[in-house]
Amino acid sequence: MAVPPLLEVRDLSKRFATRAGRDPSSWVIQQLSFSVHDGEFLTIIGPSGSGKTTLLNMLAQIDSASDGEVRFQSVTAPINDPKALNPGLSCKIGYVTQEDNLLPWRTTLENVLFPLTVQGRLNEQTRARAQMLIGAVGLTGFEKHYPHELSGGMRKRASLIRTLVYDPPVILMDEPFGALDAQTRTQLQEDLLRLWNLGRKTIVFVTHDITEAIALGDRTLVLSKSPARIAGEHRNAIPRPRDIRGIMTHQDFPALYQSIRAQVQ
Amino acid sequence: MTSHETALDLAEPSQVKWRQCAVTAGRIGLAALLLGAWKLGADAAGPVYAADPIKVLQRIVSDTASGSLLRHIYVTLRLSAIGFAIGCACGIALPFLLRRMPRLTNAVEPYIMASVGVPKYALVPLFILWFGIDDAPKLWLVGLLVFYPIFIAVFAGIRNVDRRLIDMARVAGASEAMISREVIWNSLLPFFFAALKIALPRAVSAAIIGEFLVGNEGLGYMIESSRQSFDTTGVFTGIVVATALVLVINAALVRIDRRLNAWRPVERHMEV
Repeated sequence: MAVPPLLEVRDLSKRFATRAGRDPSSWVIQQLSFSVHDGEFLTIIGPSGSGKTTLLNMLAQIDSASDGEVRFQSVTAPINDPKALNPGLSCKIGYVTQEDNLLPWRTTLENVLFPLTVQGRLNEQTRARAQMLIGAVGLTGFEKHYPHELSGGMRKRASLIRTLVYDPPVILMDEPFGALDAQTRTQLQEDLLRLWNLGRKTIVFVTHDITEAIALGDRTLVLSKSPARIAGEHRNAIPRPRDIRGIMTHQDFPALYQSIRAQVQ
Repeated sequence: MTSHETALDLAEPSQVKWRQCAVTAGRIGLAALLLGAWKLGADAAGPVYAADPIKVLQRIVSDTASGSLLRHIYVTLRLSAIGFAIGCACGIALPFLLRRMPRLTNAVEPYIMASVGVPKYALVPLFILWFGIDDAPKLWLVGLLVFYPIFIAVFAGIRNVDRRLIDMARVAGASEAMISREVIWNSLLPFFFAALKIALPRAVSAAIIGEFLVGNEGLGYMIESSRQSFDTTGVFTGIVVATALVLVINAALVRIDRRLNAWRPVERHMEV
């Protein structure tokens, strides 16, 4: 008997509301279908402007779809009804956005503890977990710094562990390392894989970098230009634990890279 | 200590010290100049039109000793504080209520904005007619004058909140009440403090004007009754004391602002 997918997207379409005096907006996403299985690391790659962020916003229920179906643990998300949305699906889906979105009036530690505070789950054990994560991503000593006193990479790490700290079963990531230099990016990718190995969550990771998509994912989906559809699907059998820095030298890498490259427009 | 001050201290300590001394000396010099001008002007105008600053100082000392000045200050401050609390509470609560009802907001916004234009002081006779001659008409005046700047600032502040922070907080499991308290309130604090800088001195001014018209205690009453008995020194004393009060309140406000908004990357140099 096949296990039903954890997250299922079927014929998903999205267009934004029109404003007076403008032509109706074209479809950003049209008839998109895919599914994500429990414990899977799925990477989604697509050209910029292909609706990747819009797709994640709909999965996180920050935004509602215009048509189609999004089903998580057999519960369907409301369609075309922003008020009925349940952002984060009661803390079951975490979302690391493209911008760090740290609260500027909270220190690093307070930002990391924010989800635990609002969920009423702040105790000795969760505090210790927060400290462990702060150590794991090298933010020890910066607990009392405000976001504007941190570097871009540090803010990204803080925003990443702010989601990891409350341990949601699914985590969506929207080009979280997009704006970083290559060195920091590799470091964070290694951090992420290490943390993922500790807990084996389900991750949907959006990027525009083919190497990153191959280095991290179990499976890679390629999105077409807007309106986004699935242009291709690639299983990635490179064994774990992976060597991020040496991923390009793995024997499977060139073929995988070539076939993804051919589909990314 | 804020990061800004730390940064200043790091840069050429001797130069910084010199600059600060120059500013302080300038301030003292300016104060002496103003006092001198006042003294000269008072001498030229004569005691009927302007009070001698030395006599004003003597009056402050003697009235403080007799206790009457402290009583007037207490009455005015009490009135300002209660009126301010009411106006401020309404000015904060209303935008938060309207936030949840966008359609109602769109409907009532032009009316609220139009009501800003009503000269509040002109309403005092009506307040006396409606609410009698006790504290009530004065509280209405103070409350209304405080309400508008706070309301407008908080309203603008709420509209200015970064949507992405709200979305982040929702995904992290924050309830609407927590989002209001944490994300929205902290985002609009700078707006709120800017409004307080207008509203707090206004509360004292409004209380004094209310006392001109109604009542037999308070700084406003003291100024008005001095005028009626041709006691120009008394009028000037009232004005000096009222100004000093506002300055003290503002200084306290700047301190609180610095504390609460310490997280902000840029220190503001505008501290009026």
